[in-house]
Amino acid sequence: MTGIGVQTKNVISDENPQDGFRLLKQAGFSDVDFSLNGYLLNTDLYRNSLNQFFDRSAAELEAYFTPHKRAAKEAGISISQMHMPYPAYIPTAKKEVNEYLWNEVAPKSMQVCHFLECPYIVIHGFKLARYLGSEDAEWERTERFLDHLAPTAKEMGITVCIENLYDNVGGHLVEGPCCNVHKAVARIDGFNERYGAEVLGFCFDTGHANLVGIDFERFLNGLGPRLKVLHIHDNDGISDLHQIPFTFTKTRENRPSTDWEGFIRGLRSIGYQGTLSFETAPVLSAFPESMKPEVLGFIARIGQYFADAI
Amino acid sequence: MQIISIIRSIIDPNRPRQGITDLLRSGCDNALLDFAAVCPPDILEKVGKSDFKSTRYTAAAEDPKQLGGLMRGLTEQGRAAGLTFPIAKAPYTAVDTKRNDLTDRLLALALECIKICGAQGCSYLIVRPPMAAVGPTAKEGSDDPLEDAYSGFYLTLARTARENRVTILLENQCRDIGGHLVRGFCAEEREAAVLVDELNRLAAERYGSWTGQQDDYFGFCMNVGICNLCGQNMYDFATALGDRIKAVILRDCDGSSDASQLSFTCVKKGQPQTDWLNLIRGLRRIRFDGCLIMDYADTAAACSPILKPQLLALAKAQGDYFAWQIGMERMLAQYSSRVLFGAGNMCRNYMKNYGEAYPPLFTCDNNKSLWDTDFCGLTVRSPEALRSLPSDCAIFICNIYYREIEAQLKDMGLPNPIVYFNDEYMPTFYVDRLDAVTRKYDGQV
Repeated sequence: MTGIGVQTKNVISDENPQDGFRLLKQAGFSDVDFSLNGYLLNTDLYRNSLNQFFDRSAAELEAYFTPHKRAAKEAGISISQMHMPYPAYIPTAKKEVNEYLWNEVAPKSMQVCHFLECPYIVIHGFKLARYLGSEDAEWERTERFLDHLAPTAKEMGITVCIENLYDNVGGHLVEGPCCNVHKAVARIDGFNERYGAEVLGFCFDTGHANLVGIDFERFLNGLGPRLKVLHIHDNDGISDLHQIPFTFTKTRENRPSTDWEGFIRGLRSIGYQGTLSFETAPVLSAFPESMKPEVLGFIARIGQYFADAI
Repeated sequence: MQIISIIRSIIDPNRPRQGITDLLRSGCDNALLDFAAVCPPDILEKVGKSDFKSTRYTAAAEDPKQLGGLMRGLTEQGRAAGLTFPIAKAPYTAVDTKRNDLTDRLLALALECIKICGAQGCSYLIVRPPMAAVGPTAKEGSDDPLEDAYSGFYLTLARTARENRVTILLENQCRDIGGHLVRGFCAEEREAAVLVDELNRLAAERYGSWTGQQDDYFGFCMNVGICNLCGQNMYDFATALGDRIKAVILRDCDGSSDASQLSFTCVKKGQPQTDWLNLIRGLRRIRFDGCLIMDYADTAAACSPILKPQLLALAKAQGDYFAWQIGMERMLAQYSSRVLFGAGNMCRNYMKNYGEAYPPLFTCDNNKSLWDTDFCGLTVRSPEALRSLPSDCAIFICNIYYREIEAQLKDMGLPNPIVYFNDEYMPTFYVDRLDAVTRKYDGQV
């Protein structure tokens, strides 16, 4: 049976993870996407601001996340995917920031992933095309980063997942890394062949795809079994809003302006068996706190609809 | 490269004289023969319905053979005045069309357009597929684009195209998902390239080749507005299609609402909302030298007729600018030797991107403190050093004060070609910039 998941961000607290996991179980979720990126925010990184969270040793990190692991198990929730802090490289940052991201944050994220028995970790490819001239040149840099992670991934049985991203041109969100399915397929296959293991996979982000007009069904059909995890969320086609599916319309007919039918057909066509995971943490900060159980329940119900339709 | 103007909102086919004159006076002597001017999408949407009323504006939609007559005033007066029509566009349905019964009518219209193009010496005809709104290039679940009905539609045009020596251009399209425009027919560059190649192969098998080249029958028209609406990487788009691209429709929009605005007018906080950088990088990389169609119909429609001549002149200047940017490397290759004027960021960018292929002898600068120093592997000299150059050595101005420096060089009485270089759309960029005062790079301690 296909699992239904959601981000831990805005639900699971470090002080009392039991309550959050219980709430998710009651809402109808079977899985979570562990928001490790919440411990080192991209907004801080872009300001050259590093906190000390990843200064902890691997043992200290394991101790820090032991209550989370225990609470998830007690609630019957699987930690089936995780988001590594991003970006992993900032072209305009000081050298020591990038070295820290590369040598401390990334390897320790892998260790946390392994400790939490999570099979997939999602990373962001480097956004360097403006400087390097092409997406292909940009990918070479991302591939170096993946080569840095791959031996550990293989040893730990983790699949690192690249995600379709966007870039920004004058406030207009356009294609970023990993938006070309043909390239993604060739790269994943080549990478895995080189390592003799499934160390690289794909995370399809519906919201990012919608922003750049990607044909969901064709993209998913192109990915096939390389699709390992999902970031399901909705937007108006203009801003990366991470909202609940089916909530955006643009015409008086009030039909959804995101191609959810194509999404379902694509997943059905490739026989997707993975978790239907929602990346909708901003929804929880938009609704009143007192409505959180109902909002989570509604998101889980949409997940169940997708599962039934697929 | 041919700079070509659209006619919509510029030339009225029913009374074309003033529009033709305005266009020619702007310096643009090429126009897109847009058959939608006499057979627009909104009329096609209604044709054949019970409440459809015939008027003089509906004649071509009802009877495709009327197309030639309706365009005759424009073509005859245009040609007499010196206007040429290197490329045309067949009538098409709107992206949100509800009509799925117009295939035969669109086919008849396209065939008629081909014949008119043949008679007019027009080499290319852009033909959108029927029901462009409903699907991508290939059928659902199919790996073979030729299984798609569109292939049959286009192949039906091939023989008439050959008889009239007209190349049919496929164009990237959107489709409508509840009012949100996403990638449709031929919007994925690799699949579009496969489709063009396969159509050419099949057409050549059936009807033979005109000249022995592979691309006689079909080519591609890259619509920049569609790429922008779909947030596409235009460098990848252009380079994947390569020399299949015979025409580029250049238009601006905000990336979410479909519009044909003058380039560089859709901006937010001082930044363009169209990715001109990747577009120019891509077209420069493939050495594009085809039809550059300036589509600013919505800007023209909103513009007062009193200001229209100035608008047309600006559009023509933009076309020339794009052609210059796209042809930058060709321009560098024209000269056997060269020096630079300027020892700042633009010089640095020149050396990073073109220094190896087109090495300058030296650079010069008005800043005395830089003379006889090295910068990016070049010796910086006084402008007086330019007097010793052979007369065919080009001086590339690498400084945004182009006109000021050009006047300085002209005042010196130098016989050398004076050429503008520009680094707004370089193949690559440095992450940091040189500070003009400290001569240090950003972040350099």
